Amino acid sequence: MDIFLVQQLVNGLAVGLIYALVAIGFTLIFGVLNVVNFAHGEVYMLGAYAGLVLAVALAPPILALLLAVLAVGALLGFGLERIAFRPFRRFRDEASLKSKAVREATLLSSLAVSIVTRELVEKLAGGDMQVVPSTLRLQEPIILSEAFGISGPLGDLVLIDGQLWILAAAVIMFALLQLVLYRTKTGLAIRAVAANPLGAAFVGIHANRTVIATFAIGSAMGAVAGILIGLYTADIQPAMGFAPGVKAFVAMVMGGLSSIPGAVICAILLGVAEALATEWVAQGWSELIAYAALLIVLLLFPTGLFGAGRERV
Amino acid sequence: MLDRRSLLLAAAAAPLATSALAQGRGYTLGYMLPLTGEFSQYGIRFRNSAEMALEAFNRANRLGGAPVRILYEDTRSDAREATTVARKFVDNAEVVAVLGDFSSSASMAAAQVFAQAGMPQLSQTASHPDYAKISPWQFRNITTQAYEGPFVARWAHGNGVRRIAVICIQNDWGQSVASNFDDAFKALGGEITSTEFFNPGNREFRTILTKIARERPDGVYLGMFYEDGAAVLQQKRQLAMRMPFYATSSLYEPKLIELAGPQAAEGLFLATSFMVTSPEPHVRAFVEEYTRRYGSEPNSFSAQAFDAVNIMLQALTRAHPDVTRQRVRDELARTHDFPGVTGVTTFDPQTREPAKTLARMQIKEGRFTLLQAQG
Amino acid sequence: MNGSRAGFWGAFLTLLFLAVPGVLAAMGSTYGFRVATVCAIFVILGVSMQLITGVAGLLSLGHAAFYGVGAYTAAKLAIGAGLPFIVTLPAAGLMTALVGLLVAVPTMRLVSIYFAVATLGVGQMIFVTLLNWVSFTRGPLGIPAIPGIAIFGVNFSSASGTYMIVAAVTAFAVWVAHRVAHSYHGTALRALREDDQCADAMGVNVPRTKLEVFAVSAFLAGLAGALWAHSTGFVSPTDFRFAESILILAMVVVGGLGSIPGAVLGAVLLALLPEALRFVGDVRQIVVGAVMFAAILFLPRGLLGEVPTLAFIRRALGAGWRAPDGRVLGWR
Repeated sequence: MDIFLVQQLVNGLAVGLIYALVAIGFTLIFGVLNVVNFAHGEVYMLGAYAGLVLAVALAPPILALLLAVLAVGALLGFGLERIAFRPFRRFRDEASLKSKAVREATLLSSLAVSIVTRELVEKLAGGDMQVVPSTLRLQEPIILSEAFGISGPLGDLVLIDGQLWILAAAVIMFALLQLVLYRTKTGLAIRAVAANPLGAAFVGIHANRTVIATFAIGSAMGAVAGILIGLYTADIQPAMGFAPGVKAFVAMVMGGLSSIPGAVICAILLGVAEALATEWVAQGWSELIAYAALLIVLLLFPTGLFGAGRERV
Repeated sequence: MLDRRSLLLAAAAAPLATSALAQGRGYTLGYMLPLTGEFSQYGIRFRNSAEMALEAFNRANRLGGAPVRILYEDTRSDAREATTVARKFVDNAEVVAVLGDFSSSASMAAAQVFAQAGMPQLSQTASHPDYAKISPWQFRNITTQAYEGPFVARWAHGNGVRRIAVICIQNDWGQSVASNFDDAFKALGGEITSTEFFNPGNREFRTILTKIARERPDGVYLGMFYEDGAAVLQQKRQLAMRMPFYATSSLYEPKLIELAGPQAAEGLFLATSFMVTSPEPHVRAFVEEYTRRYGSEPNSFSAQAFDAVNIMLQALTRAHPDVTRQRVRDELARTHDFPGVTGVTTFDPQTREPAKTLARMQIKEGRFTLLQAQG
Repeated sequence: MNGSRAGFWGAFLTLLFLAVPGVLAAMGSTYGFRVATVCAIFVILGVSMQLITGVAGLLSLGHAAFYGVGAYTAAKLAIGAGLPFIVTLPAAGLMTALVGLLVAVPTMRLVSIYFAVATLGVGQMIFVTLLNWVSFTRGPLGIPAIPGIAIFGVNFSSASGTYMIVAAVTAFAVWVAHRVAHSYHGTALRALREDDQCADAMGVNVPRTKLEVFAVSAFLAGLAGALWAHSTGFVSPTDFRFAESILILAMVVVGGLGSIPGAVLGAVLLALLPEALRFVGDVRQIVVGAVMFAAILFLPRGLLGEVPTLAFIRRALGAGWRAPDGRVLGWR
């Protein structure tokens, strides 16, 4: 058995889970507002910085740290919605609601906010990679033969504790989100607004509060993703949110816009495709192959893999 | 509508006019560098070194009372901004020479302007193989890979490495790292098991490391910036890859050990032209003052800029009092045995390429340790 | 030609060919000419993007790739085959139009966000190819020493000469975009944008119209790329990343989605802003982002939004009907 290939699959899965973690919050926000949130990558980045500052200053246990970052993320989401998205929902006339110009304007406002945020962080904290103290890092290797006594070629396989944390986080976030969406009133309101905002308003759902809740939840998840991945890769710098943000966007669309399970599956697919492409071709071309996979999926499924049932596009 | 537009154009034209203001006595150098954007950490270090060098020079008052000024312009190391800034410097009759840029693409784009307009340009870090060939106006003081590659190849081969894998960043510098090293190592009878390039911005190296581990090489050579290098070192430790790792001088940065963690960085070999711990008096003075003024140790990039500015100032001094762009260029070309903090620098009279010396270092117990001095 | 139409064009051309170069030549500023050249190139990119995203309503996130294909085509033809500017310019346009068609064909069935992501993917694929296909494009080493603009032996490679030629091509591009947008074709595109099923029911050949606008837009972007290659003298893949596509999108949205003058203004504004703000120092990028945000916040439909601009143009160019008592009916 080709242990190197299996290791590559594990590598790819780990990268895919990273994209999936970011995609969950991103898809939630898109599902409700129908606009791409370009600032999600910056919330992710700020979550990592906030977590690092808290960890270095107070040295809390990791679960407390994650909860704190969750709270910070929710606050960031609240602020983001206020600044970049609320002003563009002031139009109620039908022409504006259907207008592409207003939708692109919202997209661009989140982009502008993301640029300003990134540049501010760079100005204040410097553009260098931040040093993550070794006690906080989630980088301990777990060699299967040593940890679980597995013999044979599979024993040489290496996992990293950070990968397990990310897997756990993805599973928990996903489960929690499904719970919230399908078992709580807020979740019901979110699903209603996602399906038809005007209709939801007609049945008495407070659209603004729902949107705020969505942003808070989505951004909280993005921030936690940021700190976890930041501690796993020890790569915390102002531009860290850009690439995962783009991949999350791609995964979301590939999965079928408002389907969170779809986004997660496609994110993992992208990660594995990149790893296999690096193995068989070269790292430089792996992105091309990932995007080629995207195009093939869209050719065969013009509304994404699991996007058949959605009306709003 | 027309009012808004004309106002905007007028507002935009105003700064264009100020660039041609007269400066008075003294000389002006231009410095194009990335003060914002993804490479800002390098640009800020360059500016720090330049300010230090300039202050010391003006204090020593070697030009009979004529002060030298440096005009800093942010280009984000982007080719588009570099060409406009180059034009700005060319238009400014006060500017007699330009330092910069950081990246080769920005330096090459600016070089087209300087070659056409006749302005000497000295880059502290442009390593593109064709850079100095553009015109007689281009200079650089960074070790070229044509020298460093064979140096490390001989070293690795001397240590018993026969099969080596190479990981390089996909930019012009990475390309020359790989090609120079590959040629030199093969000429010594060694085998390159694979050469892997990665796109700039990528920090996920487990896939590349797993791929090269398959061939079981005796060693690995890294050609990348120190932040990518830190990621590689962390990840190679996770994958339990124990063969020796060699790296280019760009990884000589005190923060590398902090970022990678002392365990992961242990044992890394690299060559460098600048050493923070050098016993030489002028290097110690540089390191002490830089650390005192800016709160952190200088790295090889700070040292490169420091030397570049001083080489330029020396050329200015020799050209004084008849300082024109042509004269500064000619004096730059005559730089010989300049005693800089990155070692002794001489520009080849034909190609204007710098000849420099390298020292061998290894990371032992969390510190850079000198193995063999420069030579 | 209608009097006000001539006046409108006259004003634009005077500004482009007389006012701007006149002022810059008087100041002796090659820097000014270079900035003006870059602005003009971005005006071409802006109007080409406006056709796809503003008029046809297809959000494209990979436009910089077309720009890159045009630049590399011109560079390779000029260096590899030694062809003069007069040949490389249209060749770059045609090559890019071909690539545009190749991109458009598989994405025809996609709508809105799916289309946007597909163009993002294509843009990234082209960038990765330019960066990694070292044997053909020289990869990150780029293509240096591209000759300046020379037409039939007359050398235009000085800063002012380059500007005049670029301005001529810009005028041509704006004219083409204007003609497309204010023709039956443009109306069909707008119908397509608002509701493509309705447009289809009304007899508009949706796939063919989309392909046509893609080809024209890509052609113009290719021209811009060729101009960039010849005026800068050096092309490298990092000039054509996703960030450039976003910048072009920003120009069009800030200027006004759907109006050609809006694209021109947005392009000039966002190309000049980083230069004009140099005096701010290290916080320059922050201020650029803040200005962009403020522009979008206060004028979400853009500085020269589509509806007011269309109304103005049609009024000024007498496109309404004249009632017997002299009033203009229709667009008001």
